[in-house]
Amino acid sequence: MSFCECLKAYPEGSASASRLALTAKGLGYSSLIICNAEPQKVFRPDAASAVKGVRVILGAEVTAAHPKALKSRISALRARYPFLMVRGGTDEIIKVASEDPNVDLLMHPCAYDARRSLSIATARAARLNKVAIGFDLGALVHLRGSSRARWLEAARRNLLVARKFELSVAITAGALSHLDLKAPRDMIALAMVAGFEREEAEDALRLPERLVDLNMRAWTSPGVELL
Amino acid sequence: MRSRLPVLRARRRYMVFELEAEDTVSAKDLMNEIHSAQFSLFGDAGACVNRLKLITFNGKRGLLRCRHTHIDDTRAILATIFLINGIRVALHSKGVSGTIKAATEKYLPQLGKISDETDGRRIELKEVSGCIIRTHGLKIDLCPDDRNKTKGSDTRYLGLTSFDLSGGHEDADGTADGL
Repeated sequence: MSFCECLKAYPEGSASASRLALTAKGLGYSSLIICNAEPQKVFRPDAASAVKGVRVILGAEVTAAHPKALKSRISALRARYPFLMVRGGTDEIIKVASEDPNVDLLMHPCAYDARRSLSIATARAARLNKVAIGFDLGALVHLRGSSRARWLEAARRNLLVARKFELSVAITAGALSHLDLKAPRDMIALAMVAGFEREEAEDALRLPERLVDLNMRAWTSPGVELL
Repeated sequence: MRSRLPVLRARRRYMVFELEAEDTVSAKDLMNEIHSAQFSLFGDAGACVNRLKLITFNGKRGLLRCRHTHIDDTRAILATIFLINGIRVALHSKGVSGTIKAATEKYLPQLGKISDETDGRRIELKEVSGCIIRTHGLKIDLCPDDRNKTKGSDTRYLGLTSFDLSGGHEDADGTADGL
């Protein structure tokens, strides 16, 4: 039971890191990763370590206006933070993120437009560079009616491609406040509505912490670890 | 219709859930929202298989009856609720049991309640300032002076803890220098 959640803390969200940690501990998470776009501005990250029983990891969400800036930002942030997430907004951003081995998690949009679903080229690049594909279940919570039906269809389609290419999959609630956090069982139930198998959803919830543990080890080159 | 044969009786499970809200929510509003979330997610056909009934609700915790084969669906329904009558809420399922008695004994604690406290104290920090709406143990809900602070997340209040305000003292109760 080592479930993990990626979220945003104050000032980008509306709850401080320690409040998120306190709520996550109550819900049964063992760790959480704070993925703010400006991680150096997180409000009192040291206060979160006062909450015992939950590990708070400071990661970063990489945002950039255009692909070239994204590349340089990724390499700048990689050395400082053990977890890098990219929210795929445009096709170019998705392409660059999936081709960069420094990216840990690519939050792929689940859009109805068939051209913007998880493409074969992206999936192949993500597999080659070990980039995990993230599903933001916040849409399942916040949307209603036909827009949610469209989201569900796109999510199922993306999941099929991810399964076909054996990509690592992660799920998050896209939490911006402590009220957005869901218990791990609730997250698994939501993921099952979106077409996940139970084991798949459990693995998807464990994935971010596993990635952080891998990144925190000292790798000198691919496959060679400094002990 | 009531069946006399025990094998034909519908098997039920009782789910204990906890409500975290920015304001008080009535049982009627909650049930309306649960039903609307169920119809929205599973439709009328799904709702007829999994008839939900609210057994008790005390404003904070409640007991919901569901079908024994649809526990995960019920969890998903509760997880999709985020707004009741304009009040931002979060519903967390705590546990499932086969009888009301077992569910109450296992998951509905009678003792050790920490009640909400309301005080008019203010917080003035460099990053954040505002009025404390309520405190609940270590948790503090703050109404920020600058409304744009809670913009993208639909919440009215900022969630803080006394760790954020204690200025490095682990045992501080939030009354140290921040307040």
